Amino acid sequence: MRAILKLSKILWGNNIMKHFEISLKFLLTTLILLTVMVLPCGAADLRILYVNDFHGFAESYKRIGSDEMQGGIAHCAFRAAELSKEKPSLLLAAGDMIQGDTWANLFAGKSSIDVMNAMGFDAMVVGNHEFDFGKAVLVRRIEEAKFPVLAANVVGFDSLRPYVIREVDGLRIAIIGVVTEETPSATHPSNVAGLQFLPVTKTVERYVAQLRDKVDLIIVLSHIGYNADMALAGAVKGIDVIVGGHSHTKAVKEIMVGNTVIVQAWEHALVLGVLDLTIESGRITSMSDRLENILPATIKKDNKVAAIVENYSGQVGESMGKVIGQALVDLNAENARSAESNLGNLIADIMRRESGAEAAIINGGGLRTSILRGPVTVGNIYSVLPFNNYIIAIRLTGQQIKDALEYGLSGIEAKEGRFPQVSGISFTYSPVREAGKRIGTITIAGAPIELLRQYTVATNDFLAAGGDGYQVFREAIRQAPDFEILGGTIKSSNIVYNNAGRWLRDVVVLEVSNEKRLSSAVEGRIRAEN
Amino acid sequence: MRVFVNNSEIHLAPGMTVRHAVMGAGLLEEINAGKKVFDERGNEVGLDGELSENDRIYVEGQEETGKV
Repeated sequence: MRAILKLSKILWGNNIMKHFEISLKFLLTTLILLTVMVLPCGAADLRILYVNDFHGFAESYKRIGSDEMQGGIAHCAFRAAELSKEKPSLLLAAGDMIQGDTWANLFAGKSSIDVMNAMGFDAMVVGNHEFDFGKAVLVRRIEEAKFPVLAANVVGFDSLRPYVIREVDGLRIAIIGVVTEETPSATHPSNVAGLQFLPVTKTVERYVAQLRDKVDLIIVLSHIGYNADMALAGAVKGIDVIVGGHSHTKAVKEIMVGNTVIVQAWEHALVLGVLDLTIESGRITSMSDRLENILPATIKKDNKVAAIVENYSGQVGESMGKVIGQALVDLNAENARSAESNLGNLIADIMRRESGAEAAIINGGGLRTSILRGPVTVGNIYSVLPFNNYIIAIRLTGQQIKDALEYGLSGIEAKEGRFPQVSGISFTYSPVREAGKRIGTITIAGAPIELLRQYTVATNDFLAAGGDGYQVFREAIRQAPDFEILGGTIKSSNIVYNNAGRWLRDVVVLEVSNEKRLSSAVEGRIRAEN
Repeated sequence: MRVFVNNSEIHLAPGMTVRHAVMGAGLLEEINAGKKVFDERGNEVGLDGELSENDRIYVEGQEETGKV
């Protein structure tokens, strides 16, 4: 509007114009009037560009079931820069940006922050996974960030700001950050020790009341999930926009709850969210939202961001070749689906120690390759454990442990992946007996198992969720009463350790780095008898 | 945490995701075969998407089912 008025003033004042017919004046005047009718005085445009749940997926990849390369943060950066040139814009990140893919994890999230700085993000809310590297690391990442990192409902973390006010083309915009209250339940307790996660609704209500009269627009940058965003919009009046994350929702069209617009842009920067708003007198008078697919075949790379991505990718490659220990014997996964394996013992022992559990049960099929005697590299461990699995420890009765082992042995003829590898447990079995009746004796920590007693048992999240058909862990989770979070620690009768943000392979890398010399042996933990 | 996958009740530990729920429902192979996961409104959700109590998701073969 201001630009059009300025242009017409220049044209009217210019001598050249005096030679034009009066009809041109009439035409321009009509154009101005029409523009005034469409974009009333005081109206302003704002474009909000947004991503969420990037999880360090910096490079393009093909999703399951697709032959097309998608994503790639350098391509996303190029498109974001193009779009931000068209209108006054904000670039926002709705959490879980620094943890997930190896490209981010090997650098404790610094690679993601470097990319975000280069892209010129205006604000980010912490997601639950931002805490996965611990508080000290998160403080460093926040210090490195050239944008504010928000969380209004986290108490005890001075580096986090509750909100920020941005001025964009004359508009004053408050951005309030909130993260899921369930954050402490899925990360190591030490990562959130001393922190309080306040109820989201009350927190947002308080800040909206404080800010509403001071700004033209209130954005909640949330990491609480799409359903929770809708509940928040229904409960708190005065929020104009919620830019969300956490549920990885591909919200192809914005949704309105009351007067609140809710958007979310899937995951891994596979799409870039584009919300265009016209704001007048503190009210949104028009809007349009879309998710733009980030397709490397059609979008160029931002050179600066591409250089950062390539630099860190190169370091990932170098890290994979880094020698972290020596295998004094071959660590064998070849027979892990039918017999005790020294590699299975090594991994199960690490899981038991890490979680503090009395025993550990894992699936032999989860060990994907052997490690030959000689130098052990990070890449070797990643090849053995290529999946994003984490450790969870659950309280099981002796009977449940027996049931789990019986099930694990039930596919031995076909060398099914569910064959158990164990730590803290020894047992005998008969492969010739019918499935379900194969177990002979079981000891735990050297003592005969007590079927009615409870034991803490570490496993991986795959088995805990029912992977490979294991039902025992699922049943124990189902039997657990609702968990509580007290003082930043999960309290549940059955789940005793739960670290969803740290991959098992990274735990093993650290353990091998500390242990240096690996001489794991087959010790008779699993003995076949006829 | 209780969620529903294709209307079957699944119990998950805190921090578990869409992937775990689909696995618990025995439907992970269908994802590998090309099906996708959608929320109650027909929005596709990623396998690493986090869930909340009573969330409902659906493993289906087409996009944007528009359940609501």
